[in-house]
Amino acid sequence: MAVDVLIAEDEPSILKSLDFILRRAGWSIEAVTDGEAALNAVRRSQPRVLVLDVMLPKRSGFDVLKHIRADAALRELPVLILTAKGQAQDRRTAEELGADRFVTKPYANAEVVGAVRELMGLAPAVE
Amino acid sequence: MRAPIGLKISSRRRALGVSQAALARRAGISASYLNLIERNKRHVGGSLLIRLAEELGVELAELSGDSEHRLIAELDEAFADPVLAGVDMPASRDLVAQQPAAAQAIARLRRAYLGATANADLYADRLRTDPLLAQLLHRILSGITAVRSTAEILEDVTDLDEGERSRFVETITRETRGLTEVARGLIGQFEVDARGRRTLSPIRELDDLIFERDNYFPALEEAATELRAEIEAIGPFGEAALAVGLAAKFGVGMARSAGREVDAAGFPGQYHFNTATRIMWFQASAGAATRQFQLTRLYAELSAADAIEREVDTPQLSSGTARRLGYRALSSYLAGAMVFPYGQFLADAEAQRYDIEALCQIYSASFEQVAHRLVSLRKPDDPGLPFGFLRSDAAGRLTKHFPLPGLPLPSAGHACPRWVIYGAFRTPRTLTRQIAQFADGSRYLFIASAQARSGTGFADHAIPTSVMLACDVLHADRTVYGAGLDLGDGSTDVPVGPSCRLCPRRDCADRQEEAFTPAGEPAAVRAPLVPRRFDVGEPG
Repeated sequence: MAVDVLIAEDEPSILKSLDFILRRAGWSIEAVTDGEAALNAVRRSQPRVLVLDVMLPKRSGFDVLKHIRADAALRELPVLILTAKGQAQDRRTAEELGADRFVTKPYANAEVVGAVRELMGLAPAVE
Repeated sequence: MRAPIGLKISSRRRALGVSQAALARRAGISASYLNLIERNKRHVGGSLLIRLAEELGVELAELSGDSEHRLIAELDEAFADPVLAGVDMPASRDLVAQQPAAAQAIARLRRAYLGATANADLYADRLRTDPLLAQLLHRILSGITAVRSTAEILEDVTDLDEGERSRFVETITRETRGLTEVARGLIGQFEVDARGRRTLSPIRELDDLIFERDNYFPALEEAATELRAEIEAIGPFGEAALAVGLAAKFGVGMARSAGREVDAAGFPGQYHFNTATRIMWFQASAGAATRQFQLTRLYAELSAADAIEREVDTPQLSSGTARRLGYRALSSYLAGAMVFPYGQFLADAEAQRYDIEALCQIYSASFEQVAHRLVSLRKPDDPGLPFGFLRSDAAGRLTKHFPLPGLPLPSAGHACPRWVIYGAFRTPRTLTRQIAQFADGSRYLFIASAQARSGTGFADHAIPTSVMLACDVLHADRTVYGAGLDLGDGSTDVPVGPSCRLCPRRDCADRQEEAFTPAGEPAAVRAPLVPRRFDVGEPG
């Protein structure tokens, strides 16, 4: 079953709030907590947008992104990277690997919702 | 505008409660002469000024105005600081003349501010490179993210039901409690590190230079191209053509013999250059790779001393020792660039999938020479795979390193005993590989090989050194060393750290010493079987 947003995030509290705010914005959500599960879920659920944390167990967010961009069937999936370190190097790596958008932790909820909305191809909400 | 000397003498004298006559007597002059001086009718200087300063108990510079000049210059600098942009400051001279104490205070505050800024840079640098701090920082950022995001929900969403509301409140409580602990740990870290060293060692200065330049020196690459062309005009690049070139251009001869020789400083070695006889000597056991490389280095040093000197002539290398080390390192760089021409070598490396031993064959070079050159393939518009480089002696001491962004390679001392750089000593001349995973989940491909020179006899114990290259596991599939490995499967990764002191893994059986832990964590290494308290406050 297709979902709107797949969230890959291993911190339970962050996941809970992401899940809440994105559902509330009107999208259907699936959540996973490691990189391996993220790749499986991307293939299975064909989300419209992937919200991907960098520091994930099993496979890093970078590794997941690399696989997605190397797979002809998944290549076009818009990916929003959450980076906790907020470091230039992480961002460069993600850019090289083909990330579409970045949100740096700690973020305001509206930033995440706005970025997802943009990746969905929708106009940003009027503030 | 200096405050006139006479005025300063009289105000100081009055402040001390000394009469004009008394001061004049002590200084060995007449009272009327002192009167003229104090009214600025007579110039005063030299030994008389020194005597007056002594009698008045003030520094000479204070009377003569030298200290005022320094202060004025310091204030000029302070007032030019961008921090004060837009503030209408008085002229430094006026402030020093009219409000000397306030001027002093501003100068002192500025010095303290500069010191604090330098300290902040130092700590910022630590935060970037220290994995333990990076981990704490990560936990703080995660905690704050959760708290902020949850708090926003509680504030913005007015129709939460009671169950949701209490779950979100619980989240905030739990996360803030976690943050408190992390913050305590962080404070412990900085207390330990507050006694930081401020002076850099020469080797560290050189490291900083090489790191800042990304280990890529365009001017030396250019020089290398020219010098290699000179050799290739003689014949195919190699020992024979180098020997001819050295003889023709510099009158240098070559000699090889069995046994031991020492250089001018008394150090034994496999080779040395005698500047008096202009003979380059090699021990008979020195291999072809060593001969080719050292002849190239000699050709480079004799031909392009100026080019090397220009790179070393930087304020970053602040001592003679640092510049000597820099010169040596960069003459090696130049020789490497000659033996392995950038474009050709990069193409070969890509074609061979960075197979170091295959590249050794192509270039008649040693493992270390090839590994070293791979690390310098950092031309901004035509880079090779990013590798980190590390060399260890048989005692485990790290003797050469080039870090990768993100991968903390210790610059000295020891690395983690689990790293394959040490495992390689068990099987010399055999390349060993390893996927190493750090506590933060980052993964690297490590490849290492231990190599020794040939011994010259049974009594000559040739001790190997181990050289290791590291690359992010993301790029491992571009190397021959990633072949046959399931790079996405981290389950058989070797769990490692940077070194015990910097490693947060509490569950490591190979730990040799305690980590730099925040205050209050139990010390578990080398504890007795039966727990005991050894100190007040230390948990048993």
